[in-house]
Amino acid sequence: MFPTLKTGAVMQYPAKRTLLYNTDIIRFLDGTEQRFRDSPSVLHQWTIPLDLLDESELANFDQFFTSNQGKFGAFSFTDPWDGTIYPNCSLMEDAFSFTVSGEMRGKTTLTVCENRT
Amino acid sequence: MPYFPQLSSGATGQFPVARQRTARTVVNQSWDGYQVKLADPGAAITEWHLSFEELSDQELAALEALFQAVEGSLTPFTFLDPADNLLAWSEQQSEPVWQADPLLTLTVGISDPFGGTAAYRVSNPTGATLILQQSINAPASLDYCLSVYACSEQSPRLWLVRGATIEAVEIGPQWTRATSAGQLQDTSDTISFGVALDPGSAVNVFGFQAEVQPAASLYKQTAETGGVYPNARFRDDALTFTAAGPGRYSCELDIVNVEYL
Repeated sequence: MFPTLKTGAVMQYPAKRTLLYNTDIIRFLDGTEQRFRDSPSVLHQWTIPLDLLDESELANFDQFFTSNQGKFGAFSFTDPWDGTIYPNCSLMEDAFSFTVSGEMRGKTTLTVCENRT
Repeated sequence: MPYFPQLSSGATGQFPVARQRTARTVVNQSWDGYQVKLADPGAAITEWHLSFEELSDQELAALEALFQAVEGSLTPFTFLDPADNLLAWSEQQSEPVWQADPLLTLTVGISDPFGGTAAYRVSNPTGATLILQQSINAPASLDYCLSVYACSEQSPRLWLVRGATIEAVEIGPQWTRATSAGQLQDTSDTISFGVALDPGSAVNVFGFQAEVQPAASLYKQTAETGGVYPNARFRDDALTFTAAGPGRYSCELDIVNVEYL
């Protein structure tokens, strides 16, 4: 499961959610187009910027990244917008970085993407 | 083995501290979006960016001495992460990294101070003092702080083991965070952290944490690796510092730990 903050929240503002389709377009000489789906359904992606985290919360995200081996592992993610559980998600990147500018002043950003199942 | 020096305050780093972990995943993506992934754990990299301000002559000399001893980025040294718990498996005392004396019994699934059930009950049914501890490959001469949450209905005290030092702390039926900190006159390359139990006592423990600093910070859970990096190197072959005045130096440096080297 994706870690939650001590408040119980998953995200902080400004949070971002992206819907992704994969459409192929063939454009003909006369300007007309033929479009078709390359993928069977929409995929979701969440960008989660986190600020003012304490050391314990940062350690949870660090452990989560390590246990998932970057973008290799899969986990279920609950969309904070509507509560939908997406059972097959991964981290988007193979890198996790954070900066601690003082006590309880950790900052990081994670991106979660839904995998095709 | 050379190691990264502590500042005179006992800390290894100053704010801001930045750390980045990088994994390597081979991804084969098909046209319709399906993916086949392969992890490559041996290629993991951990990097730190450290900024230092107002360093004294002695602190700068220690940094320079290390840089010259390891010849820049050429050879490794031991780096103790200033932003991490040095102990592995901080909540799994049944893992092999924890050495429990024979006859010391561990009971899992005890309620912990954060509302979970990750605490352990450690019981000593014998007539001798028994120890549960973990050794790390770090110089014993540095300033360390050991902390652990503990409570007990029947035992009024718990002994904290920090290298050759064993310090008694008072505990009660409510969870308290017991700490033991200080510097040892010990030149060995390993140091142990743990708890010792009086004969016939039973204590609930949770969240062991060792840090290379003089006081405890918020608890940080760890799994198979703690914050000890025996294969760390300077990323660059240059160490530049700025002198703002007598005994007032600043510098920035990058440290990298690569598992496959």
